[in-house]
Amino acid sequence: MYGWIWRHLPGPVALRVVEALVLVAAVVALLMFVVFPWVEPMLPFNDVSVQ
Amino acid sequence: MSTSDEESGTARVPATGAESPAASAADRPPVPPPRPRGGKLRTAVRGFGEVLITLGLVLLLFVVYELYVTNWKSGRLQREASAQLEQEWRSAPQGERKLHVDPADGQAFARMYIPTFGVDWSFTVQEGVGPDALEVGPGHYKNTAMPGQPGNVGIAGHRVGKGAPFNDLDLLNSCDPVVVETGDSFYVYRVLPMRDEVDGWADSKGGQQQCANVAPLQDKQGAYDETFGRRIVLPDRGDAVAPVPYKARNPLPKASQASLLTLTTCHPQFSDAERMIIHGVLTNQYKKAEGTGYDDLLAAIGEA
Repeated sequence: MYGWIWRHLPGPVALRVVEALVLVAAVVALLMFVVFPWVEPMLPFNDVSVQ
Repeated sequence: MSTSDEESGTARVPATGAESPAASAADRPPVPPPRPRGGKLRTAVRGFGEVLITLGLVLLLFVVYELYVTNWKSGRLQREASAQLEQEWRSAPQGERKLHVDPADGQAFARMYIPTFGVDWSFTVQEGVGPDALEVGPGHYKNTAMPGQPGNVGIAGHRVGKGAPFNDLDLLNSCDPVVVETGDSFYVYRVLPMRDEVDGWADSKGGQQQCANVAPLQDKQGAYDETFGRRIVLPDRGDAVAPVPYKARNPLPKASQASLLTLTTCHPQFSDAERMIIHGVLTNQYKKAEGTGYDDLLAAIGEA
């Protein structure tokens, strides 16, 4: 998977490193700001009130 | 001369021969190994491994999110709520300040302090215990008493992430103060005796100065037989914040109810299998005077 991505990144090695870092940052941002906030309420460790 | 010519000649042979692939293969081992053809299984196994590693990293990232990233957002929301409450209290003319009888959902209407956690420990209290209110800070159970009133002031707060206001709630001991500030008053609640301290309270801890107005409730009213300083209950014990704790059917008229404060958070830490409940009783209240603040109150209650 990572090998496939690396081979399909265009440009010389230095540029590919930058591209890879941008990709990683984008994935982390997607997780932090979209996926985790969405999934968090469904997980069983942050209910603090009694019903 | 002739030997050197021969040597250079023989030396030149491999050098020129390096151009041919056969000679290079003989000279050094195949450095770039030929890609295994038909290694579908190999590719699949490697892909599977990469997916597992990726999932592990995502999980680690989620822990970072829960423990740190949520704190940043909650910290910002808490600062905003705090500034807004401060401004609201400041702008209301002295004498007209009073508690909102019905604060809107999510609206900050009070501030709470726990000196045991440090003089800078303070959070605004929002109305409601929904996720949005609790993201800002501790939330007040709707339909429970307002600070200072007889009955039970129920407040829930996060123990992990989201500012984790109630992170150290397990460290509270009996007689530790919990201060609630409203527009016009400071209310000082103190944690009730723990279950194992009830017997012989007056002779042991009850004699200490900080415990002056704290006594086991069950001594006066049998209805409070289950109300202790700290309790661990199941999440469905909604009656922990009932006017008389753990009595879903209120056995006492409002006038004879004790003025209690109940804090709830998740338990054990990092789980929500149970709830930790801290019960406190109102021991003092101070009208806010112009120019006095929390520091003066701390001095007054002997916590400075």
